[in-house]
Amino acid sequence: MRTLGEYIRLYFIIEAQYIKARMQYRADFIISSIGMLFTSLATLGVFWVILQSVPDVAGWSLMEMVFIYAFYMIAISPMQILFDHIWQLRFHVQEGTFLKYYFRPLNMMFYYMSEMFDLKGLIQLVMGIALLIYSSIQLQVDWTILKFVLLLITLFSAALVQIAIIVAASCAAFWVVESYPVLGLAWKLREFAPYPMSIFDGAFRFTFTFLIPIGFVAFYPSQLFLRPEEVHWFVYLSPIIGVGLFSLAYWIWAKGVNSYTGTGS
Amino acid sequence: MSLIHIENLNKHFKVLNRREGLSGAFRDLFSGNYKTVEAVSGISFDIEAGEIVGYIGPNGAGKSTTIKMMTGILQPTSGVIEVNGLVPYYNRIRQAQTMGVVFGQRTQLWWDLPVIESFKILREIYKVDEKIFNQQMEMFNDLVGLKALHMQQVRTLSLGQRMLCDIAASFLHNPKVVFLDEPTIGLDISVKAKIRSLIKKLNTEHKTTIILTTHDLGDVEALCTRIIIIDKGKILYDGDIKKVNALFGAYRTLKLQVDNFNESTLQVLQEKMTSHFGTDKNFTVSQTEEFWTDITFDQALTPLSDVLNFVMKNFSVLDVRIVEISMENVVQKVYDGALG
Ligand SMILES: Nc1ncnc2c1ncn2[C@@H]1O[C@H](COP(=O)(O)OP(=O)(O)O)[C@@H](O)[C@H]1O
Ligand SMILES: [Mg+2]
Repeated sequence: MRTLGEYIRLYFIIEAQYIKARMQYRADFIISSIGMLFTSLATLGVFWVILQSVPDVAGWSLMEMVFIYAFYMIAISPMQILFDHIWQLRFHVQEGTFLKYYFRPLNMMFYYMSEMFDLKGLIQLVMGIALLIYSSIQLQVDWTILKFVLLLITLFSAALVQIAIIVAASCAAFWVVESYPVLGLAWKLREFAPYPMSIFDGAFRFTFTFLIPIGFVAFYPSQLFLRPEEVHWFVYLSPIIGVGLFSLAYWIWAKGVNSYTGTGS
Repeated sequence: MSLIHIENLNKHFKVLNRREGLSGAFRDLFSGNYKTVEAVSGISFDIEAGEIVGYIGPNGAGKSTTIKMMTGILQPTSGVIEVNGLVPYYNRIRQAQTMGVVFGQRTQLWWDLPVIESFKILREIYKVDEKIFNQQMEMFNDLVGLKALHMQQVRTLSLGQRMLCDIAASFLHNPKVVFLDEPTIGLDISVKAKIRSLIKKLNTEHKTTIILTTHDLGDVEALCTRIIIIDKGKILYDGDIKKVNALFGAYRTLKLQVDNFNESTLQVLQEKMTSHFGTDKNFTVSQTEEFWTDITFDQALTPLSDVLNFVMKNFSVLDVRIVEISMENVVQKVYDGALG
């Protein structure tokens, strides 16, 4: 068996090559990075427009919304950067090209995901970090070592939640031919993540908190830093939710991989 | 103990008979309307270390399904399968370290990277010693001039070049056994020859066990001493290739496009051929593609020119092709008792 260290080393070796190859298509990289930049700016623009007409969103100010959005940008980056190959899963499964991932002495999820690395996601990550710093200065969040550690832990859990939702949804491809709607829906749902959960009414809020917990991607963990006094008890469970959800997604993936029979040739 | 042990192995697929439209898809979800495909049914064989075995049969015979079970992708429906003393399906990662696999035309190299980088990544994956890696790369270069391709992106290789690279790559980590599933499919004669000689040399170099799947009899003639013929999931023959060669080596199929082709053409042709050449000359007339009539015969008994002359004289022929006997024909002859 391989150790985690060996996997990380292997990951860097593959990605270094991959980035080298990608750099030949520099224009493609620059254009899609600019696209990503504008998408993020557009969302911030929407916040700004909303908060021009109403003083706050469910009691949350513009700068607080920016903080939540920054948290969101950072939290979804690992999914976009490291798990980008997930989008191709259904094609590989349908066309039988998925077979090759069984032939190496490697963890299959690792091997599969290592085949793609989304560079432009790094731009989003950097933007998110910059916005987080900016908004927390504006909001006068007073950072202590403990809070900073808490930030890292909650970011990590939030990233796991997002990864788990997308991985689990994409696994539908192992059982259903027309599987895209499932993944499409899961991907769409993330757009609700950077909003205060209190703007959603009962059923939606319940869903986003307990069933498909996208509330844990940004809003709930952000609360810990913005308004710790309003935090619900379950927010403290976010690391457990992150790890638990990822384990569940991994289990679904393993089920899918083990039941995949390829295509009848 | 043999390297591969298979006993009464079965693999059945449940295939959904899909219903039309959205409501059909919805109903499929809850009430499956399944049929069972017996892709592999009750096969048994043992393969010893160092052997090179031709596993042949027509399309859909169950070859790839068997390979998928031997490589641990598929769980058998029932039966025993052991490779290296382990059950592949439950020991996938451990088995992968001692196996090499090439599956059809689907490359396992890194599509966007130069060839040499794929080999370097494989060195890391299989933890191949630097010194052994260099030796292997030298050997590959000697065999197929791999160095010339080192800097080329995999995506820019021709199918034949890619196949050579894929096969070489599957031997990089000195596996105990290599599975080659249809390595020559879609390649022209000269590339096929290159691939065959590469496989042959790789087998002798390290005494690597090779299971070669193909529906091209030329591949097995060139490479294997032992041949296993499979059809409809069952083994028809397992033994020395000499016996098979003696029977089919000289067989050829003459493909004809006859003017005014109709339902009776096949029968008329068969009757005329037998009455002219005699019943003991093993003529088979059949049809495998639209508008083409196939005459399969033994060149050792009847010279090709005689057959051609006779056909040209009696029919108005638009087009002619001569091909080696097809797998389908071989299988038919085995069913007819040709191998006793
Ligand atoms: N994943 C699958 N699902 C359903 N049927 C399959 C599947 N794989 C193979 N089959 C069927 O099993 C039979 C054997 O297939 P295969 O092993 O691929 O044949 P070969 O490799 O000899 O051409 C065929 O009838 C094929 O359609
Ligand atoms: Mg096949």
